[in-house]
Amino acid sequence: MSRYIASAAIRGANNIVEEADQLLQKALAEKGPDAPVQFPNTAYYLPVIYGFTEIQVSKLGDLLPVIEHARQLLHPVPRGKLWTPYLGEALDSGMATLFAEEAIMGIKYSLGDQPEKLDGYPGLVTAAGEGYCNGPIDDVQLRAWGIQLVDGRMPGFCALIGCAKSNEVAVQLVRELQRRNILVFLSGNVNGRSIIHQLLEEDVEMGYDTYIIPFGTDTISTIYPLGFATRSGLTFGGLKAGQARENLIYNKFRVFAMALALGEIDDLKYATAAGAINYGFPAIADTVIPEILPTGVTEFEHVVSMPFDDIDGKDDLERAEKLIQKCIEIRGVKVQIAEIPIPVPYGSAFEGERVRKDDMRVEFGGKKSRAFEYLRMLDPDEIEDGKIELVGPGFDEVEEGESIDLGIVIEVAGRKMQEDFEPVLERQIHYFLNAASGVQHIGQRDIAWIRISKSAADKGFRLKHFGEVLYARFKGEPWNSIVDKAQVRLITDPEEMKKWIGLAREAYGERNVRVAGLTDEAVDEFYSCTLCQSFAPTHVCVISPQRLGLCGAYNWLDCKAAHRINPTGPNQPIPKGEELDPQLGRWSGPQEFVYDHSNQSIDQVTMYSIMIDPMTACGCFECMVLVIPEANGVMIVSREDPSMTPAGMTFSSMAGTFGGGLQTPGAMGVGKFYLTSPKFISADGGFKRVVWMSSFLKESMPEEFKAVAEREGVPDLIDRVADERSATTVEALLACLEERDHPALKMDPIM
Amino acid sequence: MLTPWATIPLISAIIQPATPGTYDTDLEGVAVMAVAVAIPKKKWTGQVRDVVLGATEADGGTRSKTVSVGGEGTLPFLDFEAPMPNAPRVAVEIKDRRPDDWSPILLEAWGDFMDDPAEWAKAVEKLDVDLLLLSISLTDAEGSETTAEQARSTVRKVLDSTGLPLVVFGPGQTEKDIEILVAVAEEAAGERIVLGVCDDKNYKTIVAAAMAHGHLVDARAAMDVNLAKQLNILISDVGLPLDRVLMDPTTAALGYGVEYGYSAMERLRLAALQGDGMTQQPMLVTPGEEAWRMKEAKVGEDVPEAWGDWEERAISWETLTATTLVQSGADVVVLRHPESVRRIKDLISKLWKKGE
Repeated sequence: MSRYIASAAIRGANNIVEEADQLLQKALAEKGPDAPVQFPNTAYYLPVIYGFTEIQVSKLGDLLPVIEHARQLLHPVPRGKLWTPYLGEALDSGMATLFAEEAIMGIKYSLGDQPEKLDGYPGLVTAAGEGYCNGPIDDVQLRAWGIQLVDGRMPGFCALIGCAKSNEVAVQLVRELQRRNILVFLSGNVNGRSIIHQLLEEDVEMGYDTYIIPFGTDTISTIYPLGFATRSGLTFGGLKAGQARENLIYNKFRVFAMALALGEIDDLKYATAAGAINYGFPAIADTVIPEILPTGVTEFEHVVSMPFDDIDGKDDLERAEKLIQKCIEIRGVKVQIAEIPIPVPYGSAFEGERVRKDDMRVEFGGKKSRAFEYLRMLDPDEIEDGKIELVGPGFDEVEEGESIDLGIVIEVAGRKMQEDFEPVLERQIHYFLNAASGVQHIGQRDIAWIRISKSAADKGFRLKHFGEVLYARFKGEPWNSIVDKAQVRLITDPEEMKKWIGLAREAYGERNVRVAGLTDEAVDEFYSCTLCQSFAPTHVCVISPQRLGLCGAYNWLDCKAAHRINPTGPNQPIPKGEELDPQLGRWSGPQEFVYDHSNQSIDQVTMYSIMIDPMTACGCFECMVLVIPEANGVMIVSREDPSMTPAGMTFSSMAGTFGGGLQTPGAMGVGKFYLTSPKFISADGGFKRVVWMSSFLKESMPEEFKAVAEREGVPDLIDRVADERSATTVEALLACLEERDHPALKMDPIM
Repeated sequence: MLTPWATIPLISAIIQPATPGTYDTDLEGVAVMAVAVAIPKKKWTGQVRDVVLGATEADGGTRSKTVSVGGEGTLPFLDFEAPMPNAPRVAVEIKDRRPDDWSPILLEAWGDFMDDPAEWAKAVEKLDVDLLLLSISLTDAEGSETTAEQARSTVRKVLDSTGLPLVVFGPGQTEKDIEILVAVAEEAAGERIVLGVCDDKNYKTIVAAAMAHGHLVDARAAMDVNLAKQLNILISDVGLPLDRVLMDPTTAALGYGVEYGYSAMERLRLAALQGDGMTQQPMLVTPGEEAWRMKEAKVGEDVPEAWGDWEERAISWETLTATTLVQSGADVVVLRHPESVRRIKDLISKLWKKGE
């Protein structure tokens, strides 16, 4: 911690505890120890004191041990040449400050000096009455707001302390917070002038209804917001008085609050900020102060300085906007967009909608132009959150039904974001854009093909609305658990298009290499998928880099991202554990996991064998693999193939026989990309065992199979594999294999 | 061909403790052959959580009693393995006003009580049931949306007219449920009522309301073990202790998928007994609502003659649905017809050995 700040905080604490003591002595002398002390319409006595020390203050005399306790937390100011750590001392002093401040307010209530009366401001109306600042937030309001803070409708609160650069800036700061549904708590002054004065002069309405609460024009009033936070922990965290640590932790992770210090900061403000840091609430200053950037007590930075005039912006209003943006980022507050600002209806009901040629206003990609989409991760500082930029002309000048080039570049940053998640997020673009009525999206990467309908264009839908949609969705649930910031660039300019499509293709290439290099040996954990257990209760998909889920919808990276996004969901990490048989692909971890999650009915499972303990089959597998003993190999039927097979069963009767969570040696459901994996039934001889395969499969990924055939050392392997056109009985199959000299006939017996 | 009864080993003989000649049976006229058989006992590691509904004056509420549910350490009624301290509880559902879509059989059974939720609640209490479920309608009698204030005043009336611990369900639409249940939670502060339904869309708000005012929630997921478990985890992550959560795995009526619900409940209970802490919530299900939605219960005209007497058929539908669910581990069954209540209470009294 900065020595400067620590020294100031410790000094401030020493002074305020002294002040509290003197005030208490004076009040005791005047009113006696039995004079009542209480905050109006609130439970929990003086809540900070009660929450942390269990002391139930209800009369002046009860405050004596509180002051004593605060004194014990004080430390001497670090001397000039002392370089020992003083974070603990500063935090202790912060707590002492809060106890002293709350004691002072308690005494002032006892003396009738609180809530603060502001003369000359008839516009000031609060729960405490006309002309009065608010004092503590009452219990009814605490519960009403508390529910919204817990369920996320209200992202958090921001304490504005001091005095803004101008009235105009004060108003803008408050508006920016209000716009995001963040509670605004006001206190403090600089040389006697408070942001409360500033807002009153600008006729800003305050009170519970507008989410703007003026607590008082002195720094000490900042204790009320901290009392509110403490009471939240007691009310919503199920915590008891005296659970000091638990209450602070509750606030750190559940109450998204921060302090923004406006104007010069004195010792008492530093001391109060040190108190707030105990709760995990960071402090941001609009002046030059030393920063405390490492994380620890707060989730991210502790103290950040953003000198107002140095903020990049065209005027003070824009600077105020950016200051608030930064505050939100530092506290990690998630703000969601309730309604996407586009002129057409939006929802998953529109996903399947087609835009036919005759109804089309404009298209991007397809046969006549190019379109690509590229999502990449950047450092948070490189992103201006919410920026949507159109690089080049829109489509207004383009003739109806024309086709033009378009690049969609999305840049995201997040403290939990990883480069591996880029393709997972990028694939969402398809769903996000399709959900807009009048927009059709097909494909991905640089084969994207997008159409906008005439009616959407007539309603005012333009390219920038793609940006609005993408920004809102990536910042919405559940993606906001990994995306903190996002900006979107829509490119039509030919030069920029050329540059960006090059960068995108480079990235696609790198991703392909990375995925190819991702082997089962290279990772320590696989992932589960138990999504299908609602109809196949004993089925557990074990998903490894080289074996994707049976349905084909989830690969290992998808699962990794899904787990990060939804930690309690169906995709859980499975540590590989002990390697029991590398040939079969048997590890202790997956076996234990499958046992525990299959209602204890499956205890043995391998990853690479169809004969020995194969994985269970759900019901939504893309292909069925079945051993044909007579042919010494396996056949593969795809879901799309309705024809009879040499096994004497169609796909649907096989699904009925082997699906539903059963483990059947000799039968296995797979995702079709597993067929091309080097780990495809590698324990049983690999792809050379394939004697029959639906023609649909052969035709749907010819290039991939060609590569597999070459890898297996039999370049014309696919031509030697029979299909429903050449054989639908075992006899026909055997004749066909003999004729084509299929390698499986010469392999070791599969059974 | 049917096997004559005499030749099948009697169930009573199989589960009979190995002391010959001491077994009583309720089955009249059936011979009991005493056979020494060692009863196989399964040793479970887990146990269902004990959850207390309602608060009496001593705990800051106004209920005349509290009701414990759950707590069992074995499958339903197999109390020779481990204790089943609480019988499955019977709750009766009432509405905030005379419902538009209930079967005429139910309308006849409850008569004018349905015009006043307070009177209806009193009538339910006379049936000597454990719990009362008040379900708030989406609209009032005039067809305008029920307001939070209306719901609040209904809850107040019901609380004032009965001493039964209360469960309150919203109309079942996320936004509306949030609005209504938040107000209801405040009105019933301290009564330890159950707020429902709490699902994956509204749980944060409903749980927050329960935490703010000292209530419980009914966590409903769609007939799926993992979804039910996940919802329990999410609710406990928000901060509500699990001894304030009932789990509602959703159910269906006899003939309309009750076996699906049965299977989900059975697997949830097996997981709980096997020691999975996030599935150890007592289960509440609503066979009344489900059964009375179906044609067999609801409709008396233009149905095949072979279906027999309408009233008897309807009550049987509800009773058989509930019986099935009680056997699959339900800790609370919510019913609608007084005769079904009598039959299910009778069934439970015969199966449950009072936790001894």
